[in-house]
Amino acid sequence: MLSRIAESMFWIGRYVERAEATARILDVHYHLVVQDALIDESAACAALLAVMGARGAISENVTLEEINEVLGYSLAHPSSIAATLFAARENARGAREAISSEMWETLNATHHALGGRVATARSLGPNSFFRYVKERAAVVGGLVDSTLCRDDGYRFLVLGRALERVDMTARLLIARATVADTPGGWVTTLLCCSAHEAYLRTYRRAVDASLVAEFLLLDRSFPRSVLYSLTEAEAALADLDRQQARSGVDDEARRLLGRSAADLEYRRLDELLAELPLHLGELQNTVAAAASAIADRYFRQTKPMEWSA
Amino acid sequence: MTDLFEGYELDRAFDEMFGRESDPRAPYAALHETLRLLTNEEFAERCATRDRSFRDQGITFSLSGEERPFPLDLVPRVIAADEWALIERGVAQRVRALEMFLADVYGAGEVFEARIIPRRLVYSSSHFHREAVGVNPPNGVRVHVSGIDLIRDEHGTFRVLEDNLRTPSGISYVVENRRAMSQVFPELFASHRVLPVATYPARLLEALRAAAPGGVDDPTVVVLTPGMYNAAYFEHSFLARQMGVELVEGRDLVCRNNIVRMRTTTGERRVHVIYRRLDDEFLDPVQFRADSALGVAGLLNAARAGEVTIANAVGNGVADDKLVYSYVPDLIRYYLGEEPILPNVHTYRLGEDEVREDVLKRLDQLVLKPVDASGGYGLVIGPQATDEELANLREGIIANPREWIAQDVVQLSTSPTHADGKFQPRHIDLRPFAVNDGQRVWVVPGGLTRVALPKGSLVVNSSQGGGSKDTWVLADPLATSLQPDRPPAPPSMLSEQALLFDAAPPDPGPMDGMGQQQQQQQQAGS
Amino acid sequence: MAWRLEVHHSTTYRYTGQVQESYNEARLTPVTGHRQTVLSSSLEVTPRVTPYRYADAFGTTVHSFDLHQPHDHLTVMGHSVTETSAPMPILNQLGWKDLRSDRAKERYFEFLTLTRLVDLDESMRAVCEQASALDDPTEAAIAVFGLVRKELTYVPGATAVSTTASDAFNAGNGVCQDFVHVSLALLRSMGIPARYVSGYVHNRPDALLGESVRGESHAWVDVWTGDWWGYDPTGDVAVGERHVVIATGRDYKDVTPIKGVYAGAALDKLEVSVELIRRA
Repeated sequence: MLSRIAESMFWIGRYVERAEATARILDVHYHLVVQDALIDESAACAALLAVMGARGAISENVTLEEINEVLGYSLAHPSSIAATLFAARENARGAREAISSEMWETLNATHHALGGRVATARSLGPNSFFRYVKERAAVVGGLVDSTLCRDDGYRFLVLGRALERVDMTARLLIARATVADTPGGWVTTLLCCSAHEAYLRTYRRAVDASLVAEFLLLDRSFPRSVLYSLTEAEAALADLDRQQARSGVDDEARRLLGRSAADLEYRRLDELLAELPLHLGELQNTVAAAASAIADRYFRQTKPMEWSA
Repeated sequence: MTDLFEGYELDRAFDEMFGRESDPRAPYAALHETLRLLTNEEFAERCATRDRSFRDQGITFSLSGEERPFPLDLVPRVIAADEWALIERGVAQRVRALEMFLADVYGAGEVFEARIIPRRLVYSSSHFHREAVGVNPPNGVRVHVSGIDLIRDEHGTFRVLEDNLRTPSGISYVVENRRAMSQVFPELFASHRVLPVATYPARLLEALRAAAPGGVDDPTVVVLTPGMYNAAYFEHSFLARQMGVELVEGRDLVCRNNIVRMRTTTGERRVHVIYRRLDDEFLDPVQFRADSALGVAGLLNAARAGEVTIANAVGNGVADDKLVYSYVPDLIRYYLGEEPILPNVHTYRLGEDEVREDVLKRLDQLVLKPVDASGGYGLVIGPQATDEELANLREGIIANPREWIAQDVVQLSTSPTHADGKFQPRHIDLRPFAVNDGQRVWVVPGGLTRVALPKGSLVVNSSQGGGSKDTWVLADPLATSLQPDRPPAPPSMLSEQALLFDAAPPDPGPMDGMGQQQQQQQQAGS
Repeated sequence: MAWRLEVHHSTTYRYTGQVQESYNEARLTPVTGHRQTVLSSSLEVTPRVTPYRYADAFGTTVHSFDLHQPHDHLTVMGHSVTETSAPMPILNQLGWKDLRSDRAKERYFEFLTLTRLVDLDESMRAVCEQASALDDPTEAAIAVFGLVRKELTYVPGATAVSTTASDAFNAGNGVCQDFVHVSLALLRSMGIPARYVSGYVHNRPDALLGESVRGESHAWVDVWTGDWWGYDPTGDVAVGERHVVIATGRDYKDVTPIKGVYAGAALDKLEVSVELIRRA
């Protein structure tokens, strides 16, 4: 597969996942702040912006509406849902021969419909917007599953999606930790990951902060858990690597992800929870380093040459 | 209920649907009947369906940097079988002659010695590239794809307006227009036998594979695009997808020692045939514009060395030159010993002093075209030009007579087109597409009918705000197959076996909860 | 009298750092024609590559090669041994009528047409009025070369490769390329077909056999007045046994010895040397 197309597939995976996860995170945040009078709206919003890497976007006294603009609706902010979906669509436009027509049409139609959805959200509240984004991401996910050949393009897409999921779940947990512990808080976090029912079936007891963190970080069967996503990304890399060494791992990205997964899995839980923000930060660094290693190995040399005569 | 055809006014131009007595012509009878019964609301509803479908699929073109749905008028243009047979033969004849002409001007130059066309005229064309001398295509084909633009004059005669032998675009719209029409107006297809156009990508792929360097059994074909911000990007992507080949940009390819490879995630892979949709000037910075970041350095010499085939060939633009165009009927006679099947539009060569003097006297009655432009750029329609435009034009012609040709104003034929809530006559042309695989020249039945949407306008180019129509070539009523050029396919082994196979119905699943439970219990109890 | 000339032409590009990729075409190899016979020729490139060889639209031998390993300098060397012949008498001399016939104009269209480099202005037109009034085109051509000698002074480094004929003419000085471009412009304006010739010239008519002489790339003019004949306006001599032809074309652009594109560091220094040895 062409390196340039592979890079586009990787980023389609990342962008769609990012849009969905951002919608989930904004959703959690919005309901948490709205439902709890004790929370300082401005401080909570500023903290969320920081977690999403958009601290510079608004100066002070951040409101919920503003945060929805910056992270949700505005095409002018590169990390907004709208901008992310546009970027996914542009990548798909450049890789149309590698994806199915249905998938392209879904991304294209989503982008075109977003303007109207944003207008509705601005007047009637963000809920329907977040739901729409999650639904469209689910449609894309379904089409990935049912219409893409299991070739390298598919693997790059899955790889991008899994890496983004690690990054975003880490951000979701950090976002949770930034607002004061409230009784219903962790339930909301689970709800926004669609993980509440899965959690209940797994633990069969009331929601407990450390168990939620354990579930979202370490569960081996829940598809949005960090460990599950790390493992998925590593497997995609293993499938892509046709020159696997007989011992050890040559591929830098695989090594980084595998080591991170092992570290999570074999660390004592109390230790992990005691230094949760630290480990979450490390996870994000790992994702960034792995993405750069993947680019070096698979996507490099696709810049146009600048010739001198 | 008012008829959408009410107030349809015929003028001097030949109308495709209506004869002089305002009766629909025979090939249009059924179509007219169906459309007549539609209300404007019904028609508008179908238009909305079309727009949504095009936009969602991204079937757009860029106009001034903005993506717009490709404007398809829902009234198709119909061509009867006998009319089509003439066009098909005429286009193929023209392509065969132009192939020989290109081989000649980049080779022995016999046409000059025979004094059919002046050497000075060919050598002074801005699209004549000496760099292409000595690049000999493996199967002799330089014009793998061509678009020969036709118009129909006041008498209904089809005439060639220009030849496009470089990178003619529009075929994706031909295929997508048909697909959209069959969704929006399925009932029309039930009452007409329309020849299919969707086989084009398969034909193109066959022709490209046939053009591969010798000794390559299973050639790798790619489509080379300038990138997704190119106005025709949709088409590049469409063709790559429909042919199942990679769509590459210049930066995806690398040429070393005349071998061209593409950069993939598993290393570099050899490429044998490049269907390029990039102009000559940008193709190879070593030979042409050194500042081009869109092309591939070393590509032309790789083709010269016979290691890769560039389709269409470099240098074809010389045949698109509008002054060369005026010689094509002579070229057909010279190379093929045949009379041209499709006539040209009468063209004045401004390099000849007397002709130029005459033309300068009546600029306001003629159409003036720059010889090396396409897409309607720079064209001046005398009767519609301002005094200032004519004065500038006069200066331009006197300074550079080689750069211009003049033609009589031809009233392009009209066709009913939906505008302002009813059908009105609008001028149209036709671009049939031809594919040359080295054995024969195949013409896709139909082609792109372009419409000048403003009332009275004669400029149909989409870059100038034109629209399009689905073009229906009706099957010969006597023919049994819809593919007259192919024998009907014999029933395959698979379909015969399928007839014999008597499959069980699909598993209906548990019919009701109780029944299933009982069954499970019975199993558990046994 | 025939000469046998051995030529070694070396060009080195030194860059300010590493160049990653480089694509080039060299026109450095003489071709056998009616005035010369090539006995041997080769092209040598460092870093080492195997060039691809073809003949361009004007019949010139071109070597193309590309480099993909990082390099900080590139050397291209052309070696050849060519047998040359003395100036030939000008045969088949035509009069103006034949020269200006449609047939001649059509046949030699390319060598009668001005180009960006071979251009003409009013002052140039004025100086050749007298010459064009001569009865015989061959004499008119010789008169043009006399004019060029009078109007232009040879000044090394006075002009660049992109200098046009009119610029050089108005400046009043130039190098061999400018002498040729000005001559071509004047000849073509009079309706005499003329082409640019690049090659080498041995500067000593009395050269000793085996003696190595420093030279440089040179250029002169081919004129058609019924037959092609060469004249060297810079040296003011007929083209003969001391000249080795490499390439012909409409102007310098058609015969550029080495051209190409590269990606990476900038060009720092260009070193050129030409060595000529008379062998027979």
